[in-house]
Amino acid sequence: MTAPQASAPLLAISGLCKNYGAVSALDHVDFEIEKGQVVSIIGPSGSGKSTFIRCMNGLEMASSGTVTFEGRQIPLSNQRAWTKLRPDLGMVFQDYSLFPHLSILRNIALAPVLRGRATKAEAQDRALALLARFGLADKAHAYPVELSGGQQQRVAIIRALAMNPKALLFDEPTSALDPETIKDVLDIMLDLARNGMTMIVVSHEIGFARQVADRLVFMAGGRIVEQGRPEDLIARPQSERLVEFLRHLAPRTA
Amino acid sequence: MSLILDNMPLFLRGLLATLQIGVVTLIASTIIGFILGTLAVTRSRLLRLVVRGYVELLRAVPLIVNIFFIFFGAPLFGLQLTPYAAAVIGLSLWGGANGAEIVRGGLLGVPRHQAQSARALGMTEPEIFIQILLPQAMRAIIPAFAGLLTLLVQSTTLGALVGVPEFLQISRLVVERTTVMQGIDPAFQVYAFVLVIYFLLCSTLSFASRWLESVLAARGGSRKTGTAKSLLPETVS
Ligand SMILES: Nc1ncnc2c1ncn2[C@@H]1O[C@H](COP(=O)(O)OP(=O)(O)O)[C@@H](O)[C@H]1O
Ligand SMILES: [Mg+2]
Repeated sequence: MTAPQASAPLLAISGLCKNYGAVSALDHVDFEIEKGQVVSIIGPSGSGKSTFIRCMNGLEMASSGTVTFEGRQIPLSNQRAWTKLRPDLGMVFQDYSLFPHLSILRNIALAPVLRGRATKAEAQDRALALLARFGLADKAHAYPVELSGGQQQRVAIIRALAMNPKALLFDEPTSALDPETIKDVLDIMLDLARNGMTMIVVSHEIGFARQVADRLVFMAGGRIVEQGRPEDLIARPQSERLVEFLRHLAPRTA
Repeated sequence: MSLILDNMPLFLRGLLATLQIGVVTLIASTIIGFILGTLAVTRSRLLRLVVRGYVELLRAVPLIVNIFFIFFGAPLFGLQLTPYAAAVIGLSLWGGANGAEIVRGGLLGVPRHQAQSARALGMTEPEIFIQILLPQAMRAIIPAFAGLLTLLVQSTTLGALVGVPEFLQISRLVVERTTVMQGIDPAFQVYAFVLVIYFLLCSTLSFASRWLESVLAARGGSRKTGTAKSLLPETVS
């Protein structure tokens, strides 16, 4: 566990619950992340990881609990407040949903202009610079279908970065990719993590967690069952469920 | 053949009326269709139900019944409609119902995660609709509307039943007049001509519709959109 600090956490969640009818997807989850930290979340399918991360930026409306960003509590049902928050909390999905009718450049530059974070020229310059930085300069005028899955996912990350977010949320960013392109995507994520980006990453890429995560969180049944430094958690899992989970994960990451 | 040529000015007037009704009702159908089709995908359950009811009603009732109802019903409300107006209103309401289905289908055909990732970027709902959903839906909507125009042009013939001087009605007049004045019955000749003209007109339109569909699909890359087209009725009742 990270030592308590004087500074307020960037994002603090407490007592978060989410029910889908009779199904309880999140059951009183407490969570904090500080600026510059990287937190990895693992857990079996259906354990509530996606629901959790989607409640953080209001894509899913939590049933109860609080979400506090930079010391300000976001009223759960206030869509306007969530819309205002989202540019600060970039999100990357499993299915790298780029906009197919827009060029790569437009995909990246659209939202910053709409949100008034940049003029059109500034947004395009910034998009081109980011593309160049991550080895995709030649794709600026291509359309999403012309890119491989890994390239599309890298663009999705760049698109989130273009908003100058204060944190990035990732929901299984490599799960839908071919093994050979996973590394390209992980490399960008490692780069960002090492350069101080605050990141919350749902991913079973244990290698990523080992290398850069300050904390590894294990979820099961809509709760955080265990959390701690990645190497500790992996070496000395306390709960039966984590032992079981790591055993299933082992062949993939060995 | 000379019979056709002799009456060409008349035929042309009828054809012009047919095309005019087709275009006017297409425009009205587009307006009604976009408004109702958009309301049909809003979060309001009530609005969705109202649109559903309108669409179901207009698509269930035979179009000619609808036109009769308007033409003969309007005077009861103190409104004397010309046959032309009654036909245009009836066709537009019907076309609007089909247009609403096309627009709704086109919008629903856009994958859910598109709106999600736009939302995650901080885009507002109107921005998402205009920048993300509508442009993608248009690929399915445009060719389907071209298809709807074909149906509307075919349906203009129903106007003949309330006396709109459109192409079929004019042709009927030519047949009658020739029978009375010259003592010959040119029905076969004239209706063969009518058939060929409708065939040329409508097959050109549906060819254009398919062409638009393939062009837009090719431009959109591999993503397949074709849901809206199949929402059109096969034939006109
Ligand atoms: N939209 C939804 N409607 C109903 N149940 C849902 C919905 N989304 C998720 N759930 C349920 O919530 C639980 C957690 O799902 P999820 O957050 O997707 O888990 P994970 O991402 O860890 O696989 C599961 O039981 C799932 O079936
Ligand atoms: Mg998930």
